[in-house]
Amino acid sequence: MTPAQFEKENEGRWERLQTLLEGVEAGNSKTMPDAAELPQLFRQTCHDLSVAQHRMYGPRLVGRLNALAIHGYRVLERRISGGWERLAMLVFMEFPRSFRRERGLFLFCMSLFWLPFLFLAIWTPFDPEWAMSILGPDGMIQLEQMYGSGTSPYDYMREEFGSNFGMFAFYIWNNVGIGLRTFAGGLLGGVGSIFFLVFNGASIGAATGYVHHACNPETFYSFVAGHSAPELLGIVISGMAGMRLGLSLVKPGQYDRKTSLVLGGRSALVLIAGASVMIACAAVIEGFWSANPFPPLVRYSVGGVVWLLTLGYLFFSGKERVHAA
Amino acid sequence: MVSALPADTLQPVELADGVEIHLRVAGPAARSVAWLLDLILFIALILVLLLLVSVIGPGLGEQTAQGLFLLGLFFLSWFYNVFFEMGKRAATPGQRFMGLKVASVSGAPVRWPQSIIRNLLRVIDFMPGCYLFGLMCCLFTRRFQRLGDLVADTVVIYADVRPSKAKPSLSPEAAAYLTEPVAPPTALSRAEQAALLQFLERAPHWSEARRIELADVIEPLTGRSGPAGLRRAQGMALWLQNGGQSTPSAPRS
Repeated sequence: MTPAQFEKENEGRWERLQTLLEGVEAGNSKTMPDAAELPQLFRQTCHDLSVAQHRMYGPRLVGRLNALAIHGYRVLERRISGGWERLAMLVFMEFPRSFRRERGLFLFCMSLFWLPFLFLAIWTPFDPEWAMSILGPDGMIQLEQMYGSGTSPYDYMREEFGSNFGMFAFYIWNNVGIGLRTFAGGLLGGVGSIFFLVFNGASIGAATGYVHHACNPETFYSFVAGHSAPELLGIVISGMAGMRLGLSLVKPGQYDRKTSLVLGGRSALVLIAGASVMIACAAVIEGFWSANPFPPLVRYSVGGVVWLLTLGYLFFSGKERVHAA
Repeated sequence: MVSALPADTLQPVELADGVEIHLRVAGPAARSVAWLLDLILFIALILVLLLLVSVIGPGLGEQTAQGLFLLGLFFLSWFYNVFFEMGKRAATPGQRFMGLKVASVSGAPVRWPQSIIRNLLRVIDFMPGCYLFGLMCCLFTRRFQRLGDLVADTVVIYADVRPSKAKPSLSPEAAAYLTEPVAPPTALSRAEQAALLQFLERAPHWSEARRIELADVIEPLTGRSGPAGLRRAQGMALWLQNGGQSTPSAPRS
């Protein structure tokens, strides 16, 4: 059979498949009763493609069938996203579950972040040299303006950002950006994530220590109480996502490195998505709540509730039920 | 024997239906141009955002406007590509201009998680500047994938794989050589047969001199050089195309 004969014999089928595919792609698959024919037509065309490839019917004909098969595959394989239900599943079950699955990474990243933090926070009041070099003159001036005696962070923030919305936007841009970079840095074998975690822990710790050294700690703590839980844990979880990615590259286990990286990327994505949402929530609190002049007691209690809620969400939401045998 | 490396960027993918499709993977050059175009559009968008903010700024208060700008900057810089890749054409404007699109390695449409991963990891591909890591990774992978592509399991391919439906018009000079189908003197391997068939199909697109030059390469097979060799080569290709017969066979049922 020559290519011309082959083409002539099957032309009608290919044309029909093409029309159906275009119709379905245009979005009227519901009104097209013929759409049920699609899978069969697609398989037949796939068969035609194999035949044409085997008989070497030339690049033109094979190319045409190849394009048709790709088109059909794309239309048949397109996925419909799960909508709100899927999103709720992701938020209340998948993210806390994949967080709990990474117990080792959680402990590792927590210590990477909190050890430098605690060291600098405790050490700075005795010897502020290190904290000063980390913060730099600008950082110290800013801290003194915010938390120094006689000033309040609310006045400073108003002056700096003018509005709650402005603060909120700044925190989204800056803090969520830091979280995303901490995740991406994991691709360098985890080194980037480790660097960001230690660096952030150290600079926040230095700021805390410096406030104890030169400013009014109560102003500081009452300001950060509300948003600290989602923000700090969010950064740690970003680091976990990055480390998951880095570990799948460094220690692929029973998979080859490429497959391991793809699988690691999938589980890391759930973590970084959740972490970004947490940091964004922190930005909302920081922008719209933390800068309002409420008495410290109210702020501490709200902060405590937020910590409880955050920890409860991470450790208990979507808890796997153990079925009795 | 050293297996010949392919001269094109066609990547075979086997579908669940048992058939092999070929994706035409895009190389770093085309992707870089697409990226430059996107960069220009990106800067233009930022300028538009700045302009918008400075227009509505006095009404909202300077700082709120600045906040709007920062929010816009955040979403643009992290999700510009995701937004366009999840669109109908799965391509940013720059990629669309270059005829490229993003797809799964399997040829399936790119999905949300894949698009987000490959674009979050763009930061690493950019390191230490000008996409050096991404370029190195592209050059050392079979499918020209940058690091983000590797993790997300995606490729950048040429979108339009549809060849023109019209048959190549056979120029009169080319037709003159299409004489009788001739059986080749020896049995040819599949690769050799394919080469002859492709020669027949593509010959009309070349100049006379080029056709003869190429036909001279297989002088040991045809036994002639010049126009006679070309005629002979096309005759053999025609013979192969007819399924190994001197006359076109009747359709078998």
